[in-house]
Amino acid sequence: MGSAQGGRVRLTQSHSGRDTVPVQTEKMRHLYVVIDCSRSMEDQDLKPNRLTSTLKLMEAFVDEYFDQNPISQVGIITTKNKRAEKLTDLAGNPKKHITALMKAVDTVCVGEPSLYNSLNLAIQTLKHMPGHTSREILIILSSLTTCDPANIYELIKTLKSLKVRVSVIGLSAEVRVCTVLTRETGGSYHVILDESHFKELLMLHIKPPPASSSSECSLIRMGFPQHTIASVTDQDAKPSFSMSHLDSSSGPGLSLGGYFCPQCHATYTELPVECKVCGLTLVSAPHLARSFHHLFPLQAFIESPVENLQGDRFCQACQAELKDKSVFSCPSCHSVFCVECDLFIHESLHCCPCCIYRQTAP
Amino acid sequence: MKLNIEGLLVYFPYDYIYPEQYSYMLELKRTLDAKGHGVLEMPSGTGKTISLLSLIVAYQRAFPLEVTKLIYCSRTVPEIEKVVEELRKLMEFYTKETGESNNFLALALSSRKNLCIHPEILHANIVVYSYHYLLDPKIADLVSKELAKKSVVVFDEAHNIVHLTEFISNVARETDIYLANPVLPDEILQEAVPGSIRTAEHFVGFMRRFLEYLKSRLRVQHVVQESAPQFLKDVFDKVCIDRKPLRFCAERLQSLLRTLEIADIADFSAVTLISNFATLVSTYSQGFTIIIEPFEDRTPTIANPVLHFSCMDPSIAIKPVFQRFQSVVITSGTLSPLDIYPRILDFRPVTMASFTMTLARTCLCPLIVGRGNDQVALSSKFETREDFAVIRNYGNLLLEMSAIVPDGIVAFFTSYVYMENIVASWYEQGILENIQRNKLIFIETQDAAETSMALEKYQEACENGRGAILLSVARGKVSEGIDFVHHYGRAVLMFGVPYVYTQSRILKARLEYLRDQFQIRENDFLTFDAMRHAAQCVGRAIRGKTDYGLMIFADKRYARADKRGKLPRWIQEHINDGSLNLTVDEAVQLSKHFLRQMAQPFRQEDQLGLSLLTLEQLESEEMLQKITQIAHQT
Repeated sequence: MGSAQGGRVRLTQSHSGRDTVPVQTEKMRHLYVVIDCSRSMEDQDLKPNRLTSTLKLMEAFVDEYFDQNPISQVGIITTKNKRAEKLTDLAGNPKKHITALMKAVDTVCVGEPSLYNSLNLAIQTLKHMPGHTSREILIILSSLTTCDPANIYELIKTLKSLKVRVSVIGLSAEVRVCTVLTRETGGSYHVILDESHFKELLMLHIKPPPASSSSECSLIRMGFPQHTIASVTDQDAKPSFSMSHLDSSSGPGLSLGGYFCPQCHATYTELPVECKVCGLTLVSAPHLARSFHHLFPLQAFIESPVENLQGDRFCQACQAELKDKSVFSCPSCHSVFCVECDLFIHESLHCCPCCIYRQTAP
Repeated sequence: MKLNIEGLLVYFPYDYIYPEQYSYMLELKRTLDAKGHGVLEMPSGTGKTISLLSLIVAYQRAFPLEVTKLIYCSRTVPEIEKVVEELRKLMEFYTKETGESNNFLALALSSRKNLCIHPEILHANIVVYSYHYLLDPKIADLVSKELAKKSVVVFDEAHNIVHLTEFISNVARETDIYLANPVLPDEILQEAVPGSIRTAEHFVGFMRRFLEYLKSRLRVQHVVQESAPQFLKDVFDKVCIDRKPLRFCAERLQSLLRTLEIADIADFSAVTLISNFATLVSTYSQGFTIIIEPFEDRTPTIANPVLHFSCMDPSIAIKPVFQRFQSVVITSGTLSPLDIYPRILDFRPVTMASFTMTLARTCLCPLIVGRGNDQVALSSKFETREDFAVIRNYGNLLLEMSAIVPDGIVAFFTSYVYMENIVASWYEQGILENIQRNKLIFIETQDAAETSMALEKYQEACENGRGAILLSVARGKVSEGIDFVHHYGRAVLMFGVPYVYTQSRILKARLEYLRDQFQIRENDFLTFDAMRHAAQCVGRAIRGKTDYGLMIFADKRYARADKRGKLPRWIQEHINDGSLNLTVDEAVQLSKHFLRQMAQPFRQEDQLGLSLLTLEQLESEEMLQKITQIAHQT
């Protein structure tokens, strides 16, 4: 099966398998991405080589991830030479990660990766995350061997007890220890067929996973700071150091405006962020609105053969003639759409255009 | 499910069935109907055992007068345990379905240490034990004497049955001690001991003379080969020992030892050896050869005379079984070419069939690598063994494979000596060091404890993600007994064609005998033997339909039709013309692609309707049509 054709089948499979009942998903995700930087990443079966290809896809991933999960955080770990180290810490700001990823293209790929050390490093931070958030690790593994200092099965038990979900994307072939690791922790394991399949598999992890029934209570305290812009002539304006520059290399700068934490008045230049002083999660309303569609997903449209249609046969969305064998209709407004539009509506729009039109029309 | 196989109601204790299981049971029923013998080849991991048991038990219930007993012979204790497990499941299914507790009695006998000769064996409907109980004369008499004619005998994993000659051959050395087991026809046991050895003194004197004669024969300077009658004539000429008293030596010695009430017979093992030899050489005029070697081939300066008394005819031990029992079924995953067995073992089967695996996705990838990247031909042929380029290419193949195959790789060599030479060469060339960065390396030696330890560590490395390679030998312990399922064996590499050591004189004598008696060409037999071992080795990697693995045949000779044609059908059908003479690089590309495909998710639903059937699907016209094509009659 060629990958283009296979891709089509895969997409429609994921589409038809969608629940119509809204499933509670994790909103605040803490995800560590472990990128293999061992010798095998120099292989050129992905162009120009595996490492460059992976880093490029990761940039797109980070962008999309924060788009869909605005109040979540990501951290990046690399592993090579039997060791693991953090490329970036867990943070909610995409810019930092993307900068680091772009610089990482120059790393030398050497030695063997260490699954144990990578997982251990991630756990050190994840175990401190509150129980109502998700703890996830995504490993992009190219090598078929791992050099571990201790028994990895013990670590798998620890991961289970800490409720960390580990998923793996393999670039070469199926490795037993990954199969066991992902199965035990409730994650997924896939091996890529080619570059487009790689992208698809990576993007699967953007969608928030269903919340496990054992996560703690669901009331979360959040702050919604207003952005204040003050000028020097304002009498009340007090300059302050921005807390978000505490650990950046450019020196701390005084600024007059910014976002002030409603609880402790610490200053931040960007949202979303977790206040370093009082621990309150600071977000803005549009951020939450973006993940609305996960709470109330669009219902799957009803598929029916095109012959049953009476009257003109054209798609309500793109106005093109209906040529496919089956058509999809919205259960609430009964508008008819073609296969392509149906896919687009469910994947990107998250709302039926005809329903919206009817709502807003006078 | 309850199946209808040509009118016979068969209880099958699973909800799903493979099409080839149905086909197998069909052939089996036809064999039993014809009251004859059968040779059936079906790949392992396709539920052969439960198919055999289900059908024969159903046949026994339907025709209790035709088949009174099922005798199931297997090779090792773990295999026997598996059979008992399946049998238990079957019995439970019967109880559940019919509601009545069945009155079937099944007996399993384990290793020779726990020899059981309880008379209950006579009343059992099903007996499960090891081959030895039926074939090894020492035990067969004690255990299997009373087994009735109307029994069905099944030899499972029977591909080694041709080497039964080990049971009867007898080796005498000046320095070593061995024990032998005579196969004596009844007539000898009934006759009276001849007068010349009736008294103890006469008998001892007789044995002394015979011993002196043997000593003189061992003092030769060159190799001597003669048949039993020639030997006897010479004995008579030199020391006037007749054939008849020689025949009674073994018996006479036993009775003497009993009279003297000797407690520890081990002291007399050397004499027992001589007396057994005397009895055997005088009983069998055909089918045995005596070879006297003054020294071992490898150490021509050290005098170490050995007298070999070998059985040339594999059918001697098994012919009584074929004659005595109504139906004997020989079955295994690697029996090709099937027609060799009836010829060598001297029986006429009513069925000879080979079955393939129906697969929803092709889970095996046999590749024949004939060339290195520098186009040098790869082979383990004797002439090219020392060739630097060949050794380097083999090393390169292993190195490349270690980089792309996950978890475990098993590599088989043709002999210990060859393996040692190649590994030493690789070490010097630095290849081993490179391989070790990808995977750990373990090696099988001739020491059993070391090999067990190596195997254990190999399995551990496969489990925890480090990955490992096991280097072993095609006729060693590992290749015969151990299965490398799933991650324990994702690729099997066969370095060369595993021909047996062809300079051995015993082998040459055996080949000559086969040529004279059975018209089997020497080359044919050697090739058959080598290919069977090769198939055995690569077959270790696949056990079942969800398992997958690479089978790499690294020798250009495999591409030839006479060798390829001797592989089992279920392997042959996946070798396409494009994979006949690959270079190392090409093989690596194909393997990478195969492994990626196999790593994609594969669920049971994908198999349903194709390689896994429900009762409904089985009974459809279309499926029954397809099933008839699975069995390939020879």
